[in-house]
Amino acid sequence: MVTISTLAALAVDGLAFGASLALLGVGITLVYGLGEVLNLAIGAFAVIAAILASLLIDQGMSLPVAIAGGLAFVGVFGLVVDRTLLSLVYRSDGEERILIGIFTTLGLTVLLEGVMVNYVSSQYSLPLGLDPIRVGAAVVTGTSVASIVIAAVVLAVLFLFLNRTFLGKATRTIFQDERGARLVGINPRKIRTLVFVLSVLVAGLAGVLAAARSNVSVATSFEFTTFALIVSIVGGVRSLVGAVVAGLLLGLINTMANFFVGSYFATIILFGAAIVFLLFRPEVMSS
Amino acid sequence: MSDFLPGGRKLALVGLLFVLAPLPVMGSGYFVGVLSRTLLFALFAIALNIVFGHNDQLFLFMGGLGGIGAYTTALIADSVGVSAWLALPVAAVIAGLIGLSVSWISARRSFTVILISILTLNLQLVFSEAFIGARGLTGGSTGFPYELFTLSGIAEAAGVPTAVVIYYVILAFFLAAMVLYIWLINSKYGIAFEAIREDEMAAESIGIDVVRYKSIAGFIAGVIIAIAGTLLAREATYITPSIFTFLAVDVIALVVLIVGGIRQTYGPIVGAVIVEAIEAILGTYAANWRTAIFGALLILLFLYFRSGVIVKAQEFLEDRDVSLGGGNGGTAAVDTGGDG
Repeated sequence: MVTISTLAALAVDGLAFGASLALLGVGITLVYGLGEVLNLAIGAFAVIAAILASLLIDQGMSLPVAIAGGLAFVGVFGLVVDRTLLSLVYRSDGEERILIGIFTTLGLTVLLEGVMVNYVSSQYSLPLGLDPIRVGAAVVTGTSVASIVIAAVVLAVLFLFLNRTFLGKATRTIFQDERGARLVGINPRKIRTLVFVLSVLVAGLAGVLAAARSNVSVATSFEFTTFALIVSIVGGVRSLVGAVVAGLLLGLINTMANFFVGSYFATIILFGAAIVFLLFRPEVMSS
Repeated sequence: MSDFLPGGRKLALVGLLFVLAPLPVMGSGYFVGVLSRTLLFALFAIALNIVFGHNDQLFLFMGGLGGIGAYTTALIADSVGVSAWLALPVAAVIAGLIGLSVSWISARRSFTVILISILTLNLQLVFSEAFIGARGLTGGSTGFPYELFTLSGIAEAAGVPTAVVIYYVILAFFLAAMVLYIWLINSKYGIAFEAIREDEMAAESIGIDVVRYKSIAGFIAGVIIAIAGTLLAREATYITPSIFTFLAVDVIALVVLIVGGIRQTYGPIVGAVIVEAIEAILGTYAANWRTAIFGALLILLFLYFRSGVIVKAQEFLEDRDVSLGGGNGGTAAVDTGGDG
């Protein structure tokens, strides 16, 4: 018999997993919405941030400094990737750009995985060292609550940035009408660079939060990418709010399914959901 | 022969080359394995060439379909108690029907190439999870020995290692797929594929049933992929889900097709020879960097080398006024690769 308190704990864990998924989905959505590059390497960025932070802790750094270090590295690396690889992708247009984008980011994720396996081949985690929190009869893990709070704050800041600042408004203008944006003097390429760096930082945070709750390894990176893809398929690849809702929902469903029917079936449910959405609402990936 | 099969003589030459290829290395199980894998990835690439090259349907679940073929063949042979030779066609048709359904749905709903790639990538991940999860049927991630098709008897009778017999079986399927491909592309199907690829709307308006032709391409690709997958497991003599992952099959098949040249008749085999040669060299000198190098290759190929080796070689020769007739660049590359 499953008690209410177990269900509550499961729900919190599910939302915590969903928070990571939402961040990953937002990372995909930001870049695709702005430049039609589907970043299939997003999981690699997430894993790099988490593994680097974990290694920095081993070097004796404190947890916040280590996490900041991991994220900073991923941000700089994202900048390099944008200025080199993505610049080449942006040379082409339309469907060709989308296709080249898929293949170059796919190549990048294979390349990064192949490089990392040689140096960081074990499992890494970032224990936050938080005590369980008692809510009525239910006991929930502190890490899950912290994950949800951190993700919520970051997403709120991101939305404020996009809605309130000039740079954010410029970004949204390109989302809606690239030519119009250019006419009013906004340089899409610069904004794309900014947004790509933002997206990998968000993905890096997703990786750090995932590592706080369980182990992360190089092999996890492609898993993260596929989760991110599913979230953006279900949420609509151009909708940030959609990505957040879809992330939370899929996190909840996956965690519940994991508990009640086992992990393989839970994963199949996740991918199945994406396939159903693709078949019945294919417009989420186009337009 | 050349009426039915344009360029039949060239194919016969390539076939002869591969018939003779194992002779110098008969004693080496390693080299026979490399040759077998070359032909298997050429098979995957032929399927991808038909469905992606000629029909703009990017199938990214070749690993999954190959696994469906291999597991289904074993399960039918085991549970019904028939020879794997009877089970394989059934498994291939099942995989073909999966390919057909994906193509049919995609064409009916006018999915773009990106949408199909994401749809099939998701299917690939479902299949991969299912192979691991359905422990009762697949043995989970530990798998089971795969020694179907009673080839060791033939090998004993002929006095050669089993691996050599497997190689010739694979070669037979490869040549059959090449004949099918050449016939297909030069038939009314090929003309329809070309018209659809140029302009789907225009093709439809002159009475070409776009959905039908795309579905046929999906079916043929599914059948070829299932056969390649089954033989891939047979060649390894052991089946595990890790043989049929996205990285192990789809990424390599894509690299093979692009290296050789998309929509080139001999693109798949030229690409496979080059990729397997790279793989063999890496295996000797830099095994740990294999994945990284294939990732880098994928990026570079798509950014700078999308026309493939055959076209580049032809351009190179034309620049130097060496006229060898169409496509000789391809055979030349096969020659050097086959000897190695």
